[in-house]
Amino acid sequence: MNNSESLKYLGLLILLGPLLGAILAGALGPRVLRGATHWVSILGVATAFVGAILVFGAVRGFAPGVTGAIAPVYDWLPTGGSSYFRFEFLFDPLTAIMLLTVTGVSLLVVIYSRDYMREHDHPEQGYERFFAFLALFVASMCLLVLGGNFVMLYAGWELVGLCSYLLIGFYYSKPSAAAAAKKAFLVNRIGDFGFGLAILLIYLFFGTVDYSKVFEMARHGVIANGAPFTPELATTISLLLLCGACGKSAQIPLYVWLPDAMEGPTPVSALIHAATMVTAGIYMIARCGVIFVASPTAMTVVAIIGAATALFAATIALVQTDVKRILAYSTISQLGFMVLGLGVYAADSAIFHLFTHAFFKALLFLGAGSVMHAMSGVIDVRHFSGLRKVLPVTYATFLIGALALAGFPMLSGFFSKDVILHHALHVRPFLGFLGIVTAAFTAFYTFRMVFLTFHGPLKLPEGVHAHESGKWMLVPLVVLSVGAIGAGYLGVEALGSPLTRFISPVFESTFGAAAKHMELGEAAEHAGFWGEYGLMIASGAIAIAGILSAYVVYVRQPWIPGLVRASAMGLHRTLWNKYYVDEAYNDAIVEPLRQTGSVCVALDDYLIDGLLWFVTAIPRALGFLLRTMQTGLLHTYAVTMVAGVALIVLWITW
Amino acid sequence: MSFVNSISALSPELILLIGACALLLLGIVDTGRVGRICSPAALFILLAALIATLAIGDSKAIEPAPGLRLDSLTYFVRWITLSVGAIIVLVNWSQPAAVERGEYMFLVVCSILGVLLTAEANDLVVLFLAVELVSVPTYVLIALSRVEPKASESAVKYFFLGALAAAILAYGIALTYGASGDTAIYRVAGGATVSALKGALGGTLGVIGLLLIFAGLSFKIAAVPFHAYAADVYEGAAAPITGMLGFIPKFAGFVALIKIFAALQWNIPHSTWWVIWCVAVATMTIGNVLALMQKSIKRLLAYSSITHTGYMLVALLAGPGPESGPLRDGVAAILFYISVYGLMNLGAFAALTWMRTEDRETEELAELPAAARSHPAAALALAVCVFSLSGLPPTAGFLAKFYVIGSAFSVPRESPMHGAMIALAIIAVINSAIGAAYYLRIIAATYLTKPVDTATEKRAKAPTQLQIPGGAVAISLGVCALTMLILFAVPDMLAHQTHLAARFSRSALTSPTGRMTKEDDKVKSDSSASSLKPEAARYLSATHDSHSAAQP
Repeated sequence: MNNSESLKYLGLLILLGPLLGAILAGALGPRVLRGATHWVSILGVATAFVGAILVFGAVRGFAPGVTGAIAPVYDWLPTGGSSYFRFEFLFDPLTAIMLLTVTGVSLLVVIYSRDYMREHDHPEQGYERFFAFLALFVASMCLLVLGGNFVMLYAGWELVGLCSYLLIGFYYSKPSAAAAAKKAFLVNRIGDFGFGLAILLIYLFFGTVDYSKVFEMARHGVIANGAPFTPELATTISLLLLCGACGKSAQIPLYVWLPDAMEGPTPVSALIHAATMVTAGIYMIARCGVIFVASPTAMTVVAIIGAATALFAATIALVQTDVKRILAYSTISQLGFMVLGLGVYAADSAIFHLFTHAFFKALLFLGAGSVMHAMSGVIDVRHFSGLRKVLPVTYATFLIGALALAGFPMLSGFFSKDVILHHALHVRPFLGFLGIVTAAFTAFYTFRMVFLTFHGPLKLPEGVHAHESGKWMLVPLVVLSVGAIGAGYLGVEALGSPLTRFISPVFESTFGAAAKHMELGEAAEHAGFWGEYGLMIASGAIAIAGILSAYVVYVRQPWIPGLVRASAMGLHRTLWNKYYVDEAYNDAIVEPLRQTGSVCVALDDYLIDGLLWFVTAIPRALGFLLRTMQTGLLHTYAVTMVAGVALIVLWITW
Repeated sequence: MSFVNSISALSPELILLIGACALLLLGIVDTGRVGRICSPAALFILLAALIATLAIGDSKAIEPAPGLRLDSLTYFVRWITLSVGAIIVLVNWSQPAAVERGEYMFLVVCSILGVLLTAEANDLVVLFLAVELVSVPTYVLIALSRVEPKASESAVKYFFLGALAAAILAYGIALTYGASGDTAIYRVAGGATVSALKGALGGTLGVIGLLLIFAGLSFKIAAVPFHAYAADVYEGAAAPITGMLGFIPKFAGFVALIKIFAALQWNIPHSTWWVIWCVAVATMTIGNVLALMQKSIKRLLAYSSITHTGYMLVALLAGPGPESGPLRDGVAAILFYISVYGLMNLGAFAALTWMRTEDRETEELAELPAAARSHPAAALALAVCVFSLSGLPPTAGFLAKFYVIGSAFSVPRESPMHGAMIALAIIAVINSAIGAAYYLRIIAATYLTKPVDTATEKRAKAPTQLQIPGGAVAISLGVCALTMLILFAVPDMLAHQTHLAARFSRSALTSPTGRMTKEDDKVKSDSSASSLKPEAARYLSATHDSHSAAQP
């Protein structure tokens, strides 16, 4: 069995494992498996995880100079001539890392959900449905990552959107959950529309949707008919792709769905924020790097959007009181960092940050879920405090996640954020500066959340008997905290940065070449001690300062927040209301659309329906007429036939 | 060809023939226990014939006996018919009373044998006999299928109208023979291909003969204006046999049409082409319009089957296209379509069979909500099949439509029929949009409507005591529904086979003798034809109304 053959089966294993789990959970769950449904999902996702490890091994074993392998599975539809639309997988370091992240984090989340979705060890309503959708979510994401062409990417993209809709709206009888699901789906659809247009443009100009062919052509600066691949075309396609990425990866202006997505069960939030959904946009931009770098304009826009989103979301997170909401804004902010990294030609750093972020964000969300579980569903920091004594394990692991998120030295977030800032400061100093400000805010709001939740006097919501979660929930937390501590060392330069070195060949001819072309990155290599470590020390200091100020403000001198709130009433209200973006969208887009809609309804009711009635009256009248001929009488039928023959013969002999 | 070789080449047919006789004998012997043996025996016979078919494989064109010719089409028709036939037996597993099961299965096997022979017929007379062998057993099957006056009534109707159609077909063959003095469909004589049909086209008589043959076969495929029987017959017969009626005669009819058109190398006289064009438009539209009005599921599906015939006629007119494969080749597209149609239609009727209760079948749309609630698995499979019928992804029905429309668009631009084919494709698309309206009504009735009538609710809850269609129907339904989904994911499983099957029409095209019809002396168009690509030349030849040559 040759290499591509075995890779093909690995890909199928990764794809079909969770899919089969989903099907079994859906088909057998309600009747047969019931409370044991989680097993099929866990097994399915575990299969994918094992497959991902094997893929990682296989990709590492590629001969030097080989960056990727295409594994054709089969030809699906003919697209004219002897060419087929092919179902194929692409394996390269980027795919391998994405697969490991996605399946690894998902596996822990699925295990965690076993206890989370139970009340007093009794499965919740819809337990089977939950696990079926969860496994389908993972399968969709694997399809997105594995696909070797834009159509498979799009299929995975849409399936992920569908699954997020189903899971955010899991408690569909709750109006806010149903609305959040709808919002997530619609906002994503806006992004998808741009993405779909981009794919159509790619097909139109490159004549194919296969990554290998499209990227090869783009690399040589030509399109299908031999004409040059102009920067204008590159800009158009990139910006449309970016539109899709903004939807999935929650960037300005399409980030609004993510904070609301916490209406789903907490494991779903962990999955969406860490592994299966928001990373899709980052992956897509990284994958299509060759198109993006062909357009300096698009790269500038990417960088600006990333930096702006990072800062914007961080400021909102400063004042929110709902733990899950704070975490949601922190995700948007961190995704902003990744997009900024992509925009400053540091794709390997962006993927590195994606990798470390998956650990600590999943950890934080699952920790928040553990708190929520203990608090009987309450998650607002104003209603509890001092939980560290009641929830010791949750506290310890949450603290590790928070330290990593805040960029505390020597934890994973510190290293990955640092390399992005390093590049950003070098390429676009102003955006890099914004990133540093964001990092300070991040440390502050993260620890504001930690201190308010776990420190201070013990306070519980009324009627809640707090208890530490069961082992199904704690084990994933512990595993993730190990990752949150250790994952960063895979990218540390002093240790040979195995991860970034593993992945950078993918970007060598895209982001790397472009950066080299613009004579970037050279200076970084010749920097002295301060050039190399100065920023590291500075950002570590900023993180510690942020944490300390949060400590002072929220633990030592708890009167300060009230004073600040009172003295800057307007600012606080603006932040509290998330800059009124939702309201602005509502007034500027939703309401006008709704009014247009009511006009359209009126038009539809009177004009279109009238016309339609008229149009459909034709078939109906025809049907009525013909039905009268359908008498059921034998001789009528015979006469029809003979008349038909007579008519035909007459026509011929006329 | 030696005797042994002939026997082995025809072994699937012989197995069916001997097996059918054995079934008849089994039926005559005591009925008490034997009733249970007949269905498995019939299944066994079909599978044995299928194995024989696969063992023979897709051989080169041979003529094992006078009037019979085996080619790539034969192989395809054999294995598709036998596979679908096996599912038909499964659906009919426990349909008739045990007493009659021997005869019943005998008739089913005979009908299937007829389809195989149709694909092999190389002589118009053999073709006639084969096509009638398909139809005659179905007349009896309808009457046997259930003990109800409606069934007898529709059997009688079908029989009389079928006889009329057979007469028209025979008349057409007689006229062709009169015009050409030959009945061979395709024959190589002295290095040249001879075809009775081609020879006859020189004169009006031959053209009328061809049209009468088309008319006679139109009855089998239920094309307008020979469609009127469909709804009554479908409604009268029991659901399992209706499922069979939707596939077996239609398949035979289309195979016969493909053979005839291939013998003419798609050089169809202009006027005939337009007649078929009009028939295709009328068939698509009238079937749809009538289906919109129906409250009975069986009548609805009957009219929808007329519409599907219309779609397939589109591909028939497109003919072998510039490239092989169903997307560009009308012949492959028809073969793909009819195979998929056979399964999805059978699946829908299998679902209705499964949903039956002790006293009656589920027939009205209004009964569906209650039935769907008591049979969730059948409802799901029905939904898949109906989705496929309406041509929505992710089902094979979508691909079938995609291929048919693709083949219509593949007619070369140089062809004078290009515009007409595009128009036809557009009409087909509009019609499938109309079609969605009534197919979705079935889905809506299955999943969105609450059972209204308390009586029907009670009916749904009542324990089924009498003949419950058992595992066999469930298996067949599962096979049909799953195939629709799997074929969508892996269309090449079937598409490649249709491409291989359609080769025969291509080899006929590239045969040494003229692909141009010799017609008006004024248009000695050798020079102009040779400058064109072969495909274009084929279409070019259709421009000149060849029967005008007969009226100098």
